[in-house]
Amino acid sequence: MRWRPGPIVTILAIAAVVPLVDLVLPAELALSEAVRTVFLYAILALGLNVMTGYAGMLNLGIAAFMAIGAYAFGILSCEIYPFQLGFWPALALTIPIGALAGFILGAPTLGLRGDYLAIVTLGFGEIVQDILKNLDSITKGMQGINPLPAPSIGGAMWTSNDERSWYYLLLALLTLTVIAARNLERSRLGRAWFSIREDELASRSMGIRVERAKMIAFATGAAIAAFAGGLSASVLSSTGEPNNYDFQVSILALCIIIVGGIGGVAGVLVGSLVMVGLNSIVLAKATAWMAAHGIGSQGNVMLSPNNWKFLIFGLALVIAVRIKPTGILPPKLERGRV
Amino acid sequence: MKAMEVHGVGVTFGGIIAVHDVSFAVEPGEIFAVIGPNGAGKTTLFNAVTGIHPPTHGHVELDGREQVAPMTRQTMVELLVAFLLVGVGVAATVNVERLWQASVIDNYIYEQPFPWGSALADLGRAVATLGWLGGALPLVCGGLVGAGAAWTNWSRARRSPDHIARTGVARTFQNIRLFNELSLVQNVLVGMDARMRAGFFSALLRLPRFRRERERFHAEAMKLLEFVGLADRALEAAGALPYGFRRRLEIARALAGTPKLILLDEPAAGMNPTEVGGLMALIRRVRDRGTTVILIEHHMKLVMGISDRIHVLQYGRTIAEGSPDAIRSNPRCIEAYLGVEENG
Repeated sequence: MRWRPGPIVTILAIAAVVPLVDLVLPAELALSEAVRTVFLYAILALGLNVMTGYAGMLNLGIAAFMAIGAYAFGILSCEIYPFQLGFWPALALTIPIGALAGFILGAPTLGLRGDYLAIVTLGFGEIVQDILKNLDSITKGMQGINPLPAPSIGGAMWTSNDERSWYYLLLALLTLTVIAARNLERSRLGRAWFSIREDELASRSMGIRVERAKMIAFATGAAIAAFAGGLSASVLSSTGEPNNYDFQVSILALCIIIVGGIGGVAGVLVGSLVMVGLNSIVLAKATAWMAAHGIGSQGNVMLSPNNWKFLIFGLALVIAVRIKPTGILPPKLERGRV
Repeated sequence: MKAMEVHGVGVTFGGIIAVHDVSFAVEPGEIFAVIGPNGAGKTTLFNAVTGIHPPTHGHVELDGREQVAPMTRQTMVELLVAFLLVGVGVAATVNVERLWQASVIDNYIYEQPFPWGSALADLGRAVATLGWLGGALPLVCGGLVGAGAAWTNWSRARRSPDHIARTGVARTFQNIRLFNELSLVQNVLVGMDARMRAGFFSALLRLPRFRRERERFHAEAMKLLEFVGLADRALEAAGALPYGFRRRLEIARALAGTPKLILLDEPAAGMNPTEVGGLMALIRRVRDRGTTVILIEHHMKLVMGISDRIHVLQYGRTIAEGSPDAIRSNPRCIEAYLGVEENG
């Protein structure tokens, strides 16, 4: 059979070409901070997809793992702390730290199902924020930890001015995450996750160790989310305040995988482009355009599209679920092997 | 040695006695049928054997061994590790600011290399000054919680369905429970999971070990599908299969773990006579592979045709056991289940 590029390869290839052609998007937009957010959310949503999409465990607190990753990156790399690791080792360490955090939350909650697990993870999301706020001797409280290092390769620094390097770095890291998620999905472990999602009792009766598989899903998802967190802290050169990792972030990640197509990598990529693109590109552009043309720029908060964004989000979600309940790019049955 | 021995098994749900004091033994290589009117406790008995509802009384032995996982040295080490991890975790969390201050902040001078040695020594001294209330109490309390949780987890898992399935007991379900969104091969591969060894990292990095295992099990799954006559549909979704084929797929999935014993819960339900004929042949072939078969069935032609011995339940109690001929002529069974033939 002739090899044809699947949707994932297509999406990543298009993403690789976009900055080279000025036709599709003006260069300053394609490479601006808005596009970085799309990448960061795509990685975060891939992490959530491991828990919620593959293993079927609804998680409403994924932002907490992102926060843990961001603060771990901050503490390990910022010059006000003794560790002062560079970008790469600090970023690499966010992965095991996130997995450990996922393990700590996952271990006591293994027996919980569906709604109960969702409530616990929701609570966890809030608790982590509170801890970060109140433990200010370590986390610097509401100030956040800054400045944080930008990535460097062979001594050459990536500065925030070099938009194109950032773009390709994020694309490469996203591609790595995609490969990791795909490899796990198409393995014994992924099959166990799918079987648990479909019928926990039947898969248990076939000898699947359900608790163990769920635990690995939790730790893997948390590790990917923490990786996204560390990366976002480096992008902003600051962890930001703890409120940056609130419930909105978790919900946006959940919307991404629902709108894109829960349980599939391609769906998550499209979903993050649609949802985050709507948030940080379309709405931001619309607001700027209206301001430039003197519509509602001063005073009238009702005339700013940015202030309507949660209404628009909700509407987009309702429409998406009504028209295509399985998402824009629903995962295909793995017809091939394994 | 018996393939399976059921010793005085009873299952009660609150005040309801679903199964009461049932005992029987199944020889290796036998086809053993459990029959009885609806509500006689047949499926409950299966659930007790496979660990879905552990028996409230009595016990089940497989190959002369107790089904429940024994306490090993590894279990004890795991309990100890859980005690220490959670205990130290709780104690460290309670004192996190103090320890951080003593080890990191007090030792760190901006733009000078961090003195790891003295920081660790300070950390040790700070831990020593925590004393009873700050250090030992959280350590012990947290440790007890951790070890208790690990203990509960272990004692539940020791007789859970996954453990029992891994000791060589496979089953099918009365209301077919396939993984509908997975393909036929994948359904069978799920049944093989217990035999696979490649772990997380070999899957993540696609190590040669992972590839070898994948090829091997995939080929074996195709063989099993061939065995039940579904090989040409291997890549279709299980949910799209016609009813009669689903039973066959369930049997293939159950066989995938190379069980010594397979429990079939009403395999012929809803099948037409031709399909039942094919199913009988299939069950015989399963037995000929060396797997002991225990089945629940209402379809008398099938039960009488293939069983070596039959066990009859009514209201959760045993009323008879014997060869098909003996059961057919047993007046109590006729009354309870087969029905009295009217003359004239």
